[in-house]
Amino acid sequence: MLTLQKFKEMMVAAGVDIRASEKHFSELDAASGGDGDHGTAIVTAFNAMDKVTEAGCFKRYLKALTDTLQNEACGSTSTLYGSWLQGMSDAAPEKVTELDAPAVATLFKGGLEEIGFTTKARVGDKTLMDALIPATEALCAAAGSGVPAMFKAGAEAAQKGSEATRAMRAKFGRAKNLGERSIGPVDAGSASMATIFTSFAKAF
Amino acid sequence: MAMKKFLNDPSNITKELLEGMTACYSNKVKLVNEKIVVRATPKCDCKVAIVSLGGTGHEPAISGFVGEGMLDASVAGDIFAAPGAPKLLEALRLFKREAGIILVTLNHAGDRMSANKALRDAQKEGIKVMEIVTQEDISAGIDIDPEEKRGLGGCIPLYKVIGAAAEQGKSLEEIYELGQRFNKQMATLAVAMTGCTHPQNGGVIAVLPEDEMEIGMGQHGEAGGGRSKILTADETAAKMIAPLMQATGVKAGDSAMLIVNGVGATTLMEMFVVYRKAAGLLAEKGVKTVPGICDELLTVQEMAGFQMILCKLDPDHVELMKATANSPYWTVV
Repeated sequence: MLTLQKFKEMMVAAGVDIRASEKHFSELDAASGGDGDHGTAIVTAFNAMDKVTEAGCFKRYLKALTDTLQNEACGSTSTLYGSWLQGMSDAAPEKVTELDAPAVATLFKGGLEEIGFTTKARVGDKTLMDALIPATEALCAAAGSGVPAMFKAGAEAAQKGSEATRAMRAKFGRAKNLGERSIGPVDAGSASMATIFTSFAKAF
Repeated sequence: MAMKKFLNDPSNITKELLEGMTACYSNKVKLVNEKIVVRATPKCDCKVAIVSLGGTGHEPAISGFVGEGMLDASVAGDIFAAPGAPKLLEALRLFKREAGIILVTLNHAGDRMSANKALRDAQKEGIKVMEIVTQEDISAGIDIDPEEKRGLGGCIPLYKVIGAAAEQGKSLEEIYELGQRFNKQMATLAVAMTGCTHPQNGGVIAVLPEDEMEIGMGQHGEAGGGRSKILTADETAAKMIAPLMQATGVKAGDSAMLIVNGVGATTLMEMFVVYRKAAGLLAEKGVKTVPGICDELLTVQEMAGFQMILCKLDPDHVELMKATANSPYWTVV
């Protein structure tokens, strides 16, 4: 089972780990041809989300995260995370504060589906989707083994997916203008997404 | 390159420039919800609304094209940055109507993402919107995937055509059809001679050696690849109009509109010299050019260079170009 209290603690823990790597994410962004502000953008997003006090249920908590994020932070990071969290909120059952393994899978599937409407990027495009898609798939596939195993599988797949972006050529965002020169560094958005899944897994 | 600009607090540039534009053209436009420029006098909500979005720092685009016969609203982001999805959704809510809304999105990652998210949210709220994405920059190639092509100044003549059609009371589907047809028959190429500075951080964008120019430069100074020693005006015009003709498919007997859009530091004098050659080459091929534009429409700060925009016009587009327009930077009386 995943309780709402536990999930909130996971979000806070993810924020702590994200802040610790802020500089690293910005450096990765600049190295692969972005504008070098991903660290700032993702930290701004988590700072905004930390202000959410909504305690009602999964659906309302996730919706509050989405709204706060979109009102307080701008740029593509906020739009993407806003879609992800919005999708999870839409997929969450009404008035529930505990989710079993299949419900957790439904939640993350909903998040992935919604973010997929906002960006056309998929695996291989050197974006956060390179971590999120395999992480969601692995997490869902492990639903039979219980919630902790799901997050462990998600974290491993996210790390692997992010690592694979080294060899990729950017196709989205400003980095795409660098073409071949974007090959080499890990994509910053995939790295922060992998950090989030790793933080989630550490909670169990 | 040291930055020399008349500024106050750099974080307030967008707010201040929108306040200035709407104060100057108070008979045509006004500012609502901080970042949304709308007409001073709205048109009947029985007609389709035309909305567009984009970063600032490209003045007069995009907000300078709000007005009768053009846009109903422009949603501004920040310098070179798209507005967020919530701000765009606010604008779509303001223009929610039975007749529907056409949203024009320039193909840049940030704009597309905000538009996708806002469209999805609007759909959930029952707002009727159809999106036209402009992706007419041919610097990366003519026959490549349109998703790889950027939206440059071609959005502006598109606003004219669909804005006029909306004013005439055409339906959402009719406007979408004639707009997409126009969209597919236009192409843009940009050339730059000097870079520029980012007005918020002074960062230098696109450095070019003293004696070189680059065909294919994007509107944030993104490299396009076609570097060469500086050519004469005629050589540059010839080198640009040929691929534009190929991309639009314009041929003898067709009508076309030619626009030379200065991006900031190129003089009208130079633009006219370039226009003369490009229009001459079109005439040589038997293409009939309707009255065009040589002006600054969509700029990139103090970058020197211009965008050459060629639009092949069907008979209905020719008529729509002649219709009344009364926006700050495109007027037809």
